[in-house]
Amino acid sequence: MTVGRGLNALAALCASAAVLALFAFGYGPVPALGRALDPGHGAWASAAGGQPAHSQTLALPGLAHPVQVVFTSHGVASIHAADDGDAFLALGYLHARFRLTEMDLERRLGEGRISQLAGSAALATDKFELRLGLLRTAQAEWAATPRTSPAGQVLIRYARGVNDYLAQARSTGDWPSIYALAGVYPTAWTPIDSLVMQGVLTQQLDYTTTPLDYALLEHTLGPAHTMAWFPVLAPAQSTPYDPPPYKHPGIAPIPPQALASAQALAPTTPPQAPATVAHASKGPVPAPATRAAEAILAQTDALPPGLIHEFPDSNAWAANGPVVAGAASMLAGDPHLPQTVPSIWYQAALSAPGLSVTGVTVPGLPGVLIGHNAHIAWSLTDTQNQATLFYTERTSKSRPGQYFWRGAWRRMRQVHYSIPVRGGSPVPLTVDLTVHGPVMTQAGQTTSVDWMGSIASPDIAVMIGVTHASDFAQFRAALANWRAPSQNFVYADDRGHIGAISAGYYPLVRHGDPWLPLPGTGADDVAGVIPYQAVPQVYDPPSHVVATANQRPVGPSYPYYIGTSADFFDPGYRASQIYASVRGQHGMGPAGFASVQLSVTDPLARQIVPRLLAALAAGRPSPQQKAAAGLLRGWNATMAPGSAAAALWWTFWGDYLNAVFQPWWKTANVPVHKDRKGLAISPQQFSLDEVLAAWTTGDPANPAFSPPGGPRRTAPAVMRAAFATAVAHLSALLHGAPSSWAWGRLHSRQFPSVTQAAGLGYGPRASGADSWTVNAADGGLVSHQGPSWRMIVAWTGHGTASGEGVYPGGQSENPASPWYTDQMADWWNGRYLAMPPASGDAAGPVRWSLRP
Amino acid sequence: MADLRRLGKRGSYRLGRLGAPSAAPVAPSAPHYPVWVDRHRGPAVLWLLAWLVTVAVLAAGALAGWWFLPFVAGLAAGVAAHYGRWRLRVTLPATVLGAAAGWGAALWWLVRRGLPEGPVAREIAALAGLPAQALAAIAVTLLVAVIQALAGLWLGRALTPGRGSR
Repeated sequence: MTVGRGLNALAALCASAAVLALFAFGYGPVPALGRALDPGHGAWASAAGGQPAHSQTLALPGLAHPVQVVFTSHGVASIHAADDGDAFLALGYLHARFRLTEMDLERRLGEGRISQLAGSAALATDKFELRLGLLRTAQAEWAATPRTSPAGQVLIRYARGVNDYLAQARSTGDWPSIYALAGVYPTAWTPIDSLVMQGVLTQQLDYTTTPLDYALLEHTLGPAHTMAWFPVLAPAQSTPYDPPPYKHPGIAPIPPQALASAQALAPTTPPQAPATVAHASKGPVPAPATRAAEAILAQTDALPPGLIHEFPDSNAWAANGPVVAGAASMLAGDPHLPQTVPSIWYQAALSAPGLSVTGVTVPGLPGVLIGHNAHIAWSLTDTQNQATLFYTERTSKSRPGQYFWRGAWRRMRQVHYSIPVRGGSPVPLTVDLTVHGPVMTQAGQTTSVDWMGSIASPDIAVMIGVTHASDFAQFRAALANWRAPSQNFVYADDRGHIGAISAGYYPLVRHGDPWLPLPGTGADDVAGVIPYQAVPQVYDPPSHVVATANQRPVGPSYPYYIGTSADFFDPGYRASQIYASVRGQHGMGPAGFASVQLSVTDPLARQIVPRLLAALAAGRPSPQQKAAAGLLRGWNATMAPGSAAAALWWTFWGDYLNAVFQPWWKTANVPVHKDRKGLAISPQQFSLDEVLAAWTTGDPANPAFSPPGGPRRTAPAVMRAAFATAVAHLSALLHGAPSSWAWGRLHSRQFPSVTQAAGLGYGPRASGADSWTVNAADGGLVSHQGPSWRMIVAWTGHGTASGEGVYPGGQSENPASPWYTDQMADWWNGRYLAMPPASGDAAGPVRWSLRP
Repeated sequence: MADLRRLGKRGSYRLGRLGAPSAAPVAPSAPHYPVWVDRHRGPAVLWLLAWLVTVAVLAAGALAGWWFLPFVAGLAAGVAAHYGRWRLRVTLPATVLGAAAGWGAALWWLVRRGLPEGPVAREIAALAGLPAQALAAIAVTLLVAVIQALAGLWLGRALTPGRGSR
């Protein structure tokens, strides 16, 4: 054998070994391609889960009795069991069977384990989540849950159902594609995972960085302009669902779980004078605080979309008395959330002796979150109250790992994590905890966060109570322990009663401005919460209508602080539109409610466009501007996809905001790049929308219209300039005559995949609506947030409900399944599907018999 | 020097003829036949049948989870090429096509069974960061089989006693 042949053999051997090793085990971020793409057992095997469901008998270990599951043609499941435990076990199995990827991704997100699946690109997200502490809260909550309690039992049985499916997938190899491709498979489901899911919802709905934005705004614009343009109370009050008079029964103690961490932190030294270190104080925000704010904002900026609350866009209303026809009461609900494929919702009905409920569930959580039982119906909107407080801790270089609180130096508690990373070594992370909560940064200043997600909230126990309630008293009593996320629960029952209550966590600080980062030395700590009897609520209002659309639920005379206009109540345009459409009406039926839910009338346009036209009439517009103005003249403020006036209005409003505020932003050097969502001038800055609308209609000579150091201007002059800019923008973008500038050419909706993989989502598709229409579309010109579920329930008799609902997407997350996006067309076209009855008497083409 | 002397003379620059004496007439070459035609062992149908059996084995192996079979097949082809005196220009395409056909047949079998492999292919492509087209995932899958087979073929040929490159 020659040397050349020997080298060739060696090279062939090495190459073969490398190929086999790579295909068998992967390398770094490259998956084990041989296993992953094996036609029989790799990612291709997920096709089995995409086959149309057929009637069958399945063995589910852990069931006490047989369970029947009936699927409608859209895959909506009705579970009929002999007891609650079996019903929730079956629900766990169905969630895992149809939504395993979605629920596993969500728990990984909350537990800081996305990197294990996605690699080092997700490390920043994992570190953020582990700092924030959803996992710690869930662990503490589970530790405090008696295993024999109803909530404990439901969580255990639900987890058993999920694990039944995981065992089945392990034995058949029919995993969703993402796992075969990554070579990382889901671990067993635990009750803590469900509680983490609850925390993820809280984070998505209520975690906010607005106090940090306020700090940056104050640092640049100054306190006066900041509070004038981002006021606590907006100049024009929206319609509160809970009008005055209000009670002030004092302050309730902080929930016990929140106190636990504080009590665990004993002082390390006797009280003494603090060292001279950077700390927060009243007056202008110091530079270290802005550095800390920027550092935390950079963390949140790196998160995947939808993890931080951005848009307040849910609707729920109920009516009774003369307003409704053929029913004792009616309820409509459409929670607006990030729109993804699959949807956040999985529709199901559960029935067992003593249990009958139908509606939408969240995969990963046991229970129906929105729906109705035999006697009551409920829907939710986010309350939007401020429950995220940032504290600047007093620290000293001579005392590493300590902070000064209530006159003594305290040692920070440390929690150590090891983050598994696919294709890399585990990354260690240490999280420091103060009495306020986790330290989010030590850049500039040590800043910790005290937020709603750190509060244990027995949501499962509450939802069990709600599910079994049969009147408002029971409903209200069940919600007394609900803490997070704060929600407006709207109610209607079969005896014709309606109501609403904003259950949740309302922290009240002893001192200071909670919309800014607060000093952490103790004086500005949370002193207590709003007592349950004083939180916003109403029962059988004389107007026969109660409506929440994330507007401030109470009027200006409400005696407690619950948040500012920027943190972050809705301007109330949708609420006013709902009240205008329902209040005073007679004999509305489900179709009438549906027309309100589907309304794309923009109340702000209706308010401002007449002023704009008056301003234009006083100017000398170009022929093109005249043509454009002509379109607005006959416009009914409907944001229809074919409407050119709608495109003109939306573009004008953005340019108008810029024309007024951009000179101020530029002069003050507002660091927009640090947090575009929180600091950029846009229609999504609801405070700016509200103040500009108020000035335009009531204070057209407000000094803000005149740029700093520039000529004096009034609202009409700025409107004319902004309109000219808008026409120029649209002409450059869409060309042609103004009549051809259809809104649908500018605006679309998109439903990205939960895996973030391009091509697995839906859209973008030309769409009507905007941020202020009842049928909302949020996220800019390519909207990704809107009605995630539309439901209408009419109580036609005692114990008799007629429910209908639809959500964009389908019941299965498998793109190969006929139930992947089969409800999308109905949702898009404003059609509703009959909800399966809560009683469990469902009919459908597919029936599963689940056997112990 | 003789060449230099011819500079500028008539007929000195005809291509191919520079200074060379006339070649003796050569007999016309024999008609060209592919080498394997006159050197194969046994009838072609038999070889085709063997190839098809290999494809079937590869397909069955893939369905059984034996993803490494294309490598084994390539290795076997490399060794057999030595003893069967197969030329590389035959074994190489046969191996590549066999590996691709084996895994392709497995996918085809799944489709025949009613499994929705088209949408799954799109999903795989999208999750892998490729264009969300079924063809992309299918191509990458077949490529995995082909790469294995080529590595096996190379190893098989390298480990057997050589007779020079064919």
